[in-house]
Amino acid sequence: MAKKDVKLAMEESNLWYDAFASDQTAHAPKGDSAETGQDFKLIGHYTKRIDGEKIVTGKAPFTQDIKLRGMLIGKILRSPHAKAEVLSIDVSAANNLPGVKAALPMVRGNIFYAGQMVAAVAAIDEKTAEKALELVKVEYKPLPFVVSENRAKEEGAPQVFDDRPNVQERRGYSRGDVEAGFKRADAVIERTYKTTVEIHQPAETHSSIASWQGERLTIWDSTQAIHSVRDELAEVLQIPASRIRVIKQYMGGGFGSKLGLNGQTVAAAMLAKEAHRPVKIMLTRKSNSLCVGNRPSTFQTYKGGVKKDGTITALSLLSYTSGGIRGGDRSSEPMIDVHKCENVKVEDYNIYMNTGPSKPTRAPGLVQGTFGMEGFMDELANEIGWDPLAFRKANYTTKNRGGTGIPYSSKGLDKAYEIGAKEIGWHKRNRVPGGGTGRIRRGVGMAAGIWWGAGSPGTQADVKLHPDGSVEAICGTQDIGCGTKTHMAVVAAETLGLNPADITVRLGNSDYPWAPVSGGSLTTPSVGPAVRDAALKAVEYLMEIAASKLKVPASQILLGNKNFSDKSDPEKSVPFKEVLGELSHEMIFHGERKGLPDGYAYNTFGAQFAEVEVDTATGRIKVIKVVAVHDSGRILNKQTAESQVIGGVTQGLSTALFEQRIMDDTTGRMVNPNLRDYKIATSMDIPEIVPLFVDIVDPRINNLGAKGLGEPPRIPASAVIANAVYNAIGVHIREIPMTPDKVLRALKKKEVAK
Amino acid sequence: MKEFKIAQPQSLEQASALLAEKSTGYFLIAGGTDLLDEIKNTVIAPEVLIDLRSIPGLSGIKTEKTHVSIGAMTRVAELAENPVIKENYPGLVEAALSLASPQLRNVGTVGGNLCQRPRCWYYRDVDTICRKKGGSRCYAFRGRNKYHAIFGGGVCYIVHPSDLAPALISLDADIAIDGPDGKRDILKLEDFFALPQKNVRKENILEPGHIVSEIRIPLPKKGTKSTYHKFKERGTWDFAVVSVALAGTVSNGLSTDLKIVCGGVAPVPWRLKKAENFIRGKKLTEDIIKQGAGQVLADAKPLAENAYKMDLLESVLPMAVSSML
Repeated sequence: MAKKDVKLAMEESNLWYDAFASDQTAHAPKGDSAETGQDFKLIGHYTKRIDGEKIVTGKAPFTQDIKLRGMLIGKILRSPHAKAEVLSIDVSAANNLPGVKAALPMVRGNIFYAGQMVAAVAAIDEKTAEKALELVKVEYKPLPFVVSENRAKEEGAPQVFDDRPNVQERRGYSRGDVEAGFKRADAVIERTYKTTVEIHQPAETHSSIASWQGERLTIWDSTQAIHSVRDELAEVLQIPASRIRVIKQYMGGGFGSKLGLNGQTVAAAMLAKEAHRPVKIMLTRKSNSLCVGNRPSTFQTYKGGVKKDGTITALSLLSYTSGGIRGGDRSSEPMIDVHKCENVKVEDYNIYMNTGPSKPTRAPGLVQGTFGMEGFMDELANEIGWDPLAFRKANYTTKNRGGTGIPYSSKGLDKAYEIGAKEIGWHKRNRVPGGGTGRIRRGVGMAAGIWWGAGSPGTQADVKLHPDGSVEAICGTQDIGCGTKTHMAVVAAETLGLNPADITVRLGNSDYPWAPVSGGSLTTPSVGPAVRDAALKAVEYLMEIAASKLKVPASQILLGNKNFSDKSDPEKSVPFKEVLGELSHEMIFHGERKGLPDGYAYNTFGAQFAEVEVDTATGRIKVIKVVAVHDSGRILNKQTAESQVIGGVTQGLSTALFEQRIMDDTTGRMVNPNLRDYKIATSMDIPEIVPLFVDIVDPRINNLGAKGLGEPPRIPASAVIANAVYNAIGVHIREIPMTPDKVLRALKKKEVAK
Repeated sequence: MKEFKIAQPQSLEQASALLAEKSTGYFLIAGGTDLLDEIKNTVIAPEVLIDLRSIPGLSGIKTEKTHVSIGAMTRVAELAENPVIKENYPGLVEAALSLASPQLRNVGTVGGNLCQRPRCWYYRDVDTICRKKGGSRCYAFRGRNKYHAIFGGGVCYIVHPSDLAPALISLDADIAIDGPDGKRDILKLEDFFALPQKNVRKENILEPGHIVSEIRIPLPKKGTKSTYHKFKERGTWDFAVVSVALAGTVSNGLSTDLKIVCGGVAPVPWRLKKAENFIRGKKLTEDIIKQGAGQVLADAKPLAENAYKMDLLESVLPMAVSSML
C-alpha cells in the first residue's frame, strides 16, 4: 500500500491528458456516419433533466446520504509538514479507544506535501473518530521543502524527490524553422503569461463508502470514473477487478478531481476490511483543497513574428509548469494547433515542488494555454494595428497543426466567430486598446478555443425491452452532473419513438457495460452513439414483429408516437406496447460506439466574446456580458448543453478574476484552504451569459454527429475576459487571477511608460 | 470539533459570573456565525459556550432622549431594516448590508460583529501558532500579506474585520459593557478597540467576565450625513480590502466636523485624524481629499503584498466624500 501511495503521488502526470489527446484513429474499425436527422423530435431540442426534480428537492441520494447497516465513520489524519520523514506511527492508543473499530497507518517513508494522508481511523461515530485521530502518535523528522515555483527553480533549492532534479525538460514540439520565420517578420514580440494554481472545489467534497461481503467489495464513490476506481483499487488491494463493484448515482461536481482513484476510497476499503463493517469517509473542505488535485500553474513565454499582411511567420513557446509533486500541464496545444502558422517550436519544463499532486482540471493545459496564446494573438494583432477578430480570420485553417496537418472532420469556428461578433456587438470595441476615457473603461474582447472530445470507440450500452412494454437503457457510464442520464433517455426515446419518461435509465454501476471516464468531454459522444446503436438494433428486431402484425414489409413501417404504422396507410398501426407484448421474455440489444475513420482530426471548437468594465481607480473588473458560441457537433439536448456552457463560462470568469491557491513559504502550507479565502465567483459577479451553438453535424465522428461539450466552454472563458480588459485599458494583465492589486499595478506601469 | 457544554444564563450577571470563572475555555456565543467556524476548524476548543440568546432584553432598537440604543443581540439584518436607523444613519445601513451574506446577516448580531476574531489566515490555521495564539512570531510580516494591515501593525498585522465598527465610530457611538459586579461601563466605541501592542491576544479592551450589552448612537445633529464605502474583491460575501465610513455635516461643499474611519487597513478600525484635520473647512474637491489621504498615507507601513491598499484608500476616500456632497 505505502509503496503504491508513493508511486501514485510521484507518477508522471499527463496520463489523462495524453489519453484525451492521443490519436484515436490508430485502431479504429470502420466508423459510423451520422444521419442527417432532420426529423428528430427530441434530439437537438429542449428536454428537462429527467432527474432534475429529484435533485432540486433533495430526494436524490448522494454518496454522503447513503447509510448502511453497521456503517462506521472514517477519518483521515494528514501531515502538517510539507516534507518530512515519518519515523514512526503508533495507532495503538487510537485503536484502544472505545468505539474505534480500526486504525491504520497509511504512509511509510517520506511525506511530500502538507495534507498528505498519514493514518486513518474508523469508529462508530464522527465524534469518536475525531478523538481517535488525536490519539494517533506520529513522529516526524521535518525536512527542507519548497512550495514556490520560482524558489524550486533556484540553484540549491531543496530537492523534492531524491532521484531527480526539481526542473525537468519534457517532450517538446517543433515544425518548420522558427528562426527563419522570425527573420521574415515585420515585427517580433515576446510576452510572458502566468496562470496560478486553481483548486477544483466541487460543491460535494469527495466521499466514499466501502462494504465487504466476504471476498467481494462494493464501493459507493463520488467519482467521475467508476471503472477506473474499480481497476485501480483492484491493483492497490491486490484483488481481482471482478470482485469489485463501484456505484455512483448522484454527484455534486468533480471537474477532474474525481477522475480515478482517490486516497479516501483506498482508506475506506482498508478500514472496512479491518473492521469487518462498512466504512464511510467524507473529506472536509480543507482536505478537498489540499489533496485531491489542482490545476497546475504555468509560466508561458511566447515569441511571435508577424507580417503587416497578417501572416504569422513563426511562434515559439518556452513553458514552465508545476503540478506540485505530480507533473504539470502542457500549455502548448493552442499555439500548435488553432491558428495558421508553419514554423512552431515548444520547449517545455516541469517543476516539482512540495505541494499537493495535480489532477486534470476541466480542460487541463488548454485553459492555461488558451489564456496565454489568445492573449498573445491580441497583442500580435495590436502590433500590426489589426482588429483581433480579423487577425484570427486571416489565420483560419481547416487543417490541424496550424494548417500543416490533416483536415478537421468538421470545424465551425468560422461560424462561431460570425455569430458571436454579431451577438456581442463587436463594433462597440475600442479600435485601439485602451482608447476610451474616464474612470470606468469599457472593453470588448474575444478568444478562440479548441479541444478534443470525440468520444471513446468501444463504449458499450444495452437497450432492454420487456414484454410489459417497458424499456431500459443501460450503460456503465456515470452522470457527473452534465445530464448523461437525460441524454441516454433522449437518444433511446428518439430512436424507439417514445418519450424520455418512458425510458428507465440505468448507469453509475461498474457491473454495467463499459464506458470511459467522464473526463475529456468524452461521455456524451461515447454513450450517446452506443445507446443509439443498441436502440437501432432493437428497432430492427421490433420492425419484424410489427411487419408480421401489420402484414406489410418491415421496410414499409414507420416508428413514432409510440406506434408502428404503415407508411402508405397511417391508419394501419399497432402500438409500441403491443409489439413488445409479443416478446416471450425480456430481450437485450447490445450497442457499441464505433471507431473514428482515419485521416481526419476530430476536435471541438468555440469562440467567446465578452464585454467588461474596468474601474481604473480601484482596479476592479466587472464583466457585463459573455457570449459563448460552440461547435460541439450535433447538440443532443439544448437544455443541458446551455447549462454546461453557462457553467463553463462562470468557472472561467471565477478563475480569471478571483481564484488562487496561496502557499506560505515559511510553513509550507496553503493559507486559504476554505471557501472564504479561496474566492469563487458569487451570483453577484455573474453577468448575462448567452450560450449559442453552431450545430454542425459532424459527418463521420459517430452515428449522431455529436462531439463533447464538457470542457470547451471553460477553455476560452478566462482568456476572453483578459482580452476584453486589454481592449478596455490598453494594458494586458497577463496573469490570472486579475485581482485589483494586479490591475492597479499594470495601470501604474502604463502611466510610467507614458 | 471537541465536545463542549452550553450554558444558558438568564441574566447578564449570571453570564458574566460564569465567564469570569475561568480565564480560558469559556466563550460567549451570540449569533455564532464566526465562533462555530473557529470551533469546527479547531482554532479554539471551548469547554463551555455561554449562550447570550437566553438572556432577555439584549435585542432591539429603541430611541431614547439623546441617543438610539441598539441591543448587542440585535441581528444585523434587523439593524439594516430598522426605520429609525434607516432615517438617521444611512452609513450604518450601508455597512450592515455590505457585510457577509443575507443568510449570515439573518443570524449574526451587532455585538458579535464588533467582537469577532480576525480572519488572518495564519491565525485561522490550526497548525500555525502565531503571536495571537501565544506563539513568538507574526507569520504575515514576511509571509503572505495581501489582506493585512498597512497601519498600526508591528506586533501583529491583522486587520479588524468588522464593517459596523468603522460606521459606528464615525457616528460617535458609545458601547456599554457589563461587568461581573453588575456594574455597567459606557465608553466611546473608538476606545473599545485596542492595538496588538497592548495585548496581542485580543482586539479590544474587554476584561474577563465583561460583556458587550448595548451600542448607543447620539441622535444626529441637523444636516448630518453618513456613508460607508466598502471595497471588496467580489460582489458579495467578502471582507473589506479597504472601507471608508464617513459621518458629519456638509454644507456648501465643505465640512467642519467630518469623521473618517477606515476598515480593512489596521488591527483596529482606523480613524484618519490627519485627513480630517486637513480637509476641515476646506472645499471638498477631489484634489483636497486626495491631499488629505496623502497626509495619512505618509504614515502607512505596507508589507510586501499590500501596498495596493494605499492606492485603494486614495481612490475610495474621494468616492465616499463625493457621494455625500
